[in-house]
Amino acid sequence: MSEFIEADDMALLAASFEAVMAEAPGPGEADQALFDLGWAELLAAAPGPAAAMVFSALGATGSAATLLDDVVAHALGMPISPDVCVLLPASLHAERAAPQSDEPRIFNQEEPLEISGLVSSRIDRAATVVTVWDKESGPEFTSFEAGFLRNRGATGVDPAHAYRHLSVRVAAHFLTPLEAEATWETAVAAARVALAHQLIGGARWMLAEARQHALDRVQFGRPVASFQSIRHKLAESLVQIEGAASVAGACVHDPDPMLAALAKSLAGQAALTTAAHTQQVLAGMGFTAEHRFHLWLKRMLVIDTLFGSASSLPTEIGQDLLTRGTAPRLIQL
Amino acid sequence: MEPEIFRRDLGAWLDANADELTPPYEGLASMDVSMEHYSRVKRALYDADFGRYGWPESVGGLGGTPLLRAIVGEEINFRDLADPNAWTMIEVLAPTVIDFAPPELSARLVPPFIRGDEMWCQGFSEPDAGSDLASLSCRAAKTDGGWVVNGQKIWTSFIEYSQRCVLLTRTGEPDSAHRGITAFLVDVDSPGISYSPIETMHGRTDFAEVQFDDVFVPADRILGEENGGWQVAMDILPYERSTTFWHRGALLHRRCSDLITQVAASGDHDTAAAKAIGQAFQSIVAFRSRSRDTQHQLAAGQQLGVETSVDKILITSAEQQLFEAARDLLLGVIEFDEGLTAAQWRTDYLYSKAASIYGGTAEIQRNIVARRLLDLGPEA
Repeated sequence: MSEFIEADDMALLAASFEAVMAEAPGPGEADQALFDLGWAELLAAAPGPAAAMVFSALGATGSAATLLDDVVAHALGMPISPDVCVLLPASLHAERAAPQSDEPRIFNQEEPLEISGLVSSRIDRAATVVTVWDKESGPEFTSFEAGFLRNRGATGVDPAHAYRHLSVRVAAHFLTPLEAEATWETAVAAARVALAHQLIGGARWMLAEARQHALDRVQFGRPVASFQSIRHKLAESLVQIEGAASVAGACVHDPDPMLAALAKSLAGQAALTTAAHTQQVLAGMGFTAEHRFHLWLKRMLVIDTLFGSASSLPTEIGQDLLTRGTAPRLIQL
Repeated sequence: MEPEIFRRDLGAWLDANADELTPPYEGLASMDVSMEHYSRVKRALYDADFGRYGWPESVGGLGGTPLLRAIVGEEINFRDLADPNAWTMIEVLAPTVIDFAPPELSARLVPPFIRGDEMWCQGFSEPDAGSDLASLSCRAAKTDGGWVVNGQKIWTSFIEYSQRCVLLTRTGEPDSAHRGITAFLVDVDSPGISYSPIETMHGRTDFAEVQFDDVFVPADRILGEENGGWQVAMDILPYERSTTFWHRGALLHRRCSDLITQVAASGDHDTAAAKAIGQAFQSIVAFRSRSRDTQHQLAAGQQLGVETSVDKILITSAEQQLFEAARDLLLGVIEFDEGLTAAQWRTDYLYSKAASIYGGTAEIQRNIVARRLLDLGPEA
């Protein structure tokens, strides 16, 4: 169906999605309104373009909607529902937490299982949690009831978004094995591309704020936008954003996992660079809670960390390249 | 012609003719030898038609989009079959000459360039007109049947091997800036042209300083309008930054792959090495993806403009990051080692320092992005 969604239609849809995101007071309301608007149908019909459009809008509006859970669930062939929450295993979301030993991640079946990872605020509303075990034989999927995990865990630097780290023990008989229709690698790639779009959307918002402030703010009798050091910071931000946006755009039609990792890494780098430059250009105003910049900065920190950061992904990509012994030609005319 | 089919057929032909096309030298040859081989490869591609696609029929081409030329140069660079800088000159100069020369002139002069029988060069920069190109002062004065040129040019590549030069001259008042510039296509063997090579820090003499003393240029060698030379110069930029950059991106990709192979073979790499390689590759992919978008815009007939400064900044970053990574990871090779491989890394490393200077400095590019793409108003 993706071919049947024309660019104009996508632009119209984007406007409706952004309006809903901007109006919803919290993530629960946002999720509900976006499902009402047809998010699940759109994602099912055209996963690549849908995620690109909707996650760009999430970045631009600063919405805390928890749609990443749906992207992962759908990539695994599981139902798209606001009742399903995905727990991202610590070992798979960041290199820092990668298993350092060969210890099996699943314990004696008689004993309680230790589950550790990140969940979105959907955990407070969802009925079911889906997660993945990093077993020696490969990833294994499982689900369990969400109820007992509600309103637990610290919410970290970005309370509005409320991604949180949970570490709990679940009795083995509460777990239901799941058959996934796709590999975990596929889901990781889909999530990375979606998050890349969110980072780019957020970076574009920050750059627009910085630009307007630079034009409005007068010091030494002229707009600070006239000073070359500020111009070059903003130019550098735009260049990084455009480079990352191009790769994220290429992922819409190319499901290569390495390309997805590159898109996420580049987008994280662009967002963090733009955040640093925006902070500097906004100067004192950017340090206040009054200016909304800090909300984007904190969101970008969280999104950058999910599924591999701009700091950890280059190492992962480099190790993959060294294993291959050669650079694959990912971008063809 | 579908790009994918074209690439496949071209690849098969390049493989089948590898004996003839592979350079008869290893590593870096002298300029004489590498230019001779460049001409041979160009001619072979032309005779097999691959070198004619993407050029209009009016200049001996077989038509099709510039994407086809981008593919040819990419495959040549991926296989390291010919001097990459020689290869760029045709993409920089021929499209603009086709756009601005009288049709009968381009029909006569462009075909030998495309065939590889001729080389052309570019006379833009001057000792006192670098980033501020519009302040150039090499003067063209009207005379019977044409113009007389007096002045100096610098950074002219390949003039020793060239038959023609695309030249920017001052035809308006000295302070007429971009309004008083006229472009010409000048024969390099015209009486009064002399040049001296500039030795560069990477050990190649690609450049020359050129002197024009009462050089007569016939009236029919004007490109575009009198005092319309700035448009000619601006027309070159998008070509330079689309197809030419795509070709150079292929070279960077190959060198990145070489680095990966070398580091992987050494078996001695830590997390920091993997990270440096990942970052270099990521910058190359960002550039190539952006450049592909630009190529498709060009092929769709869109007018490219200042947004190609983004491509320029991306390729500059990618090139410098790659060769800095090579220096870090191949510890001491660039500084001390003998042999062809080390010499190539050394030359590439040193040449990468020019990437943020030629074709508009890194600072000029950021000024353009700030003024034209971000609309930040005038500079202080």
